Amino acid sequence: MSRILIWDIPTRIFHWSLALAFAAAWLSSLDNRFLYAHTYAGYAFLGLLLFRLWWGVVGSRYARFRAFAYDWPSVRAYLAALATGRATRYLGHNPAGSWSILFLLALGLMVSTAGVLVLGGEEGHGPLAGYIPFQAGDYAHVVHEAGAWLMLAVVTLHIGGVVIESTLHGENLVRTMITGYKKNPGGPGAGVRAAGTTGAILLATLITAGLIYLKGYLMETPEQPYVPYSGPMLPDNATWRSECGDCHLAFHPSLLPVRSWRRMMLTLSDHFGEDVALDAGTAAEIEAFLTANAAEALASEPAHRILASIAADQIPLRVTDTVYWKRKHSGIDDKYWTAQKVGHRSNCKGCHLDADAGTFEDAGMRLPVSAAADASRATSSNP
Amino acid sequence: MKIPYRLSFALLGSLIFTTCNAATLDDVLDSYQAAGATTFSAARGETLWTTDHPDPESPGKVRNCSTCHGKDLSQPGRHVNTGKEIEAMAPSVNDKRYTNAKTIEKWFTRNCKWVLGRECMPQEKGDVLSYLRTK
Repeated sequence: MSRILIWDIPTRIFHWSLALAFAAAWLSSLDNRFLYAHTYAGYAFLGLLLFRLWWGVVGSRYARFRAFAYDWPSVRAYLAALATGRATRYLGHNPAGSWSILFLLALGLMVSTAGVLVLGGEEGHGPLAGYIPFQAGDYAHVVHEAGAWLMLAVVTLHIGGVVIESTLHGENLVRTMITGYKKNPGGPGAGVRAAGTTGAILLATLITAGLIYLKGYLMETPEQPYVPYSGPMLPDNATWRSECGDCHLAFHPSLLPVRSWRRMMLTLSDHFGEDVALDAGTAAEIEAFLTANAAEALASEPAHRILASIAADQIPLRVTDTVYWKRKHSGIDDKYWTAQKVGHRSNCKGCHLDADAGTFEDAGMRLPVSAAADASRATSSNP
Repeated sequence: MKIPYRLSFALLGSLIFTTCNAATLDDVLDSYQAAGATTFSAARGETLWTTDHPDPESPGKVRNCSTCHGKDLSQPGRHVNTGKEIEAMAPSVNDKRYTNAKTIEKWFTRNCKWVLGRECMPQEKGDVLSYLRTK
């Protein structure tokens, strides 16, 4: 039986890479800690879509948009025929498939563009960092998530369509998207060129970009964990750091509002049970630094979130008393709190690699591995 | 003997540094005597360092210096409330100890209040420093 090349190499690489990036983006979105992997999946996704737009113009016959520009009547006719089980076999995309793909392309562009806005607005990362207000990032987040769910629905339809059509025409369309070949129906309509060079360049670009982006993770050691960070560093002050950091982590001013720091400085003679009174000059310098860079300065995502979570009549003296902190840490198993590396709720550094800097990056979170190992050993050794 | 030019500076620097450290601690001890203390005793200092005092926050419990500094002064201690590591007190393993008069006073004031519930006398501070410097 003769066969005919329908999908050129770049189209196939695009398809499976996009599916992989989509899955990776979904999985890495389930925990904030994987933000960095999520971001790479998103950049790859956006890059692939832009490539596809270009390939839709210059690619081979069935990859071109011209080959799947069907009007609504032909989609309706195709679906009607499908309902009776007598749908026409198309060598390229069928009308319904074409529409779902165009819809996925548009949705994908929207979701990944919104993602870059979220990254710039909420995290202060990426190409738009500093240009997007925090609130705008929050709005983009809604679009980003709604779009992602909608895409998931369309992907499900797309897979359903592939299964139906494969059954209907006795032709494994998944294998077609891997090999590129379909059964030759005969008659006019030649196969396409493979375009291997473009495919090789596409694949090399994806892999190289990934290696460069995730290089830090590949090179990290247990002693030197990697904290990807591309946002602005928060203000620092040597006196604050040494005086406050003697007995506990120097909690960055951005973690509590001005009113909390004012009260803290007024009550140093009974600072959580300890008299830590400072001389007037030192106290004045520290208070100036604390109030100038308090949560109200909105220099980081935690500052925004913590501030928004405190009722106007509350003056929390512990970061761990704020609603946002409690919500963010509610799901954490006790075994991590009692791990030797943590030990105390105020010991942010036990899990947050960048606690000293006060940035509290999503990707800077590492649950203590030894705690998990200890706990599992304890469980398994139980009779 | 010919000492290389750069090494001579390093030697001179470390000599000055060592002298200054010793000078700081001796100056501090002198200032306590000027404030009424008599001769200092490392043994009395050790007794003060290890004596238990009632913990006003949890009845039945006690506090002493090792509550945070630990039993072995050549090892780091741990702040009893926050868990933050406190560098070793023994000058033999931590040469930053007792090099700054202001720092010495700051911690005496703070920690005597926490352990004893009052500030320490010049005599007590001198005894404790005499004990700690032997470690």
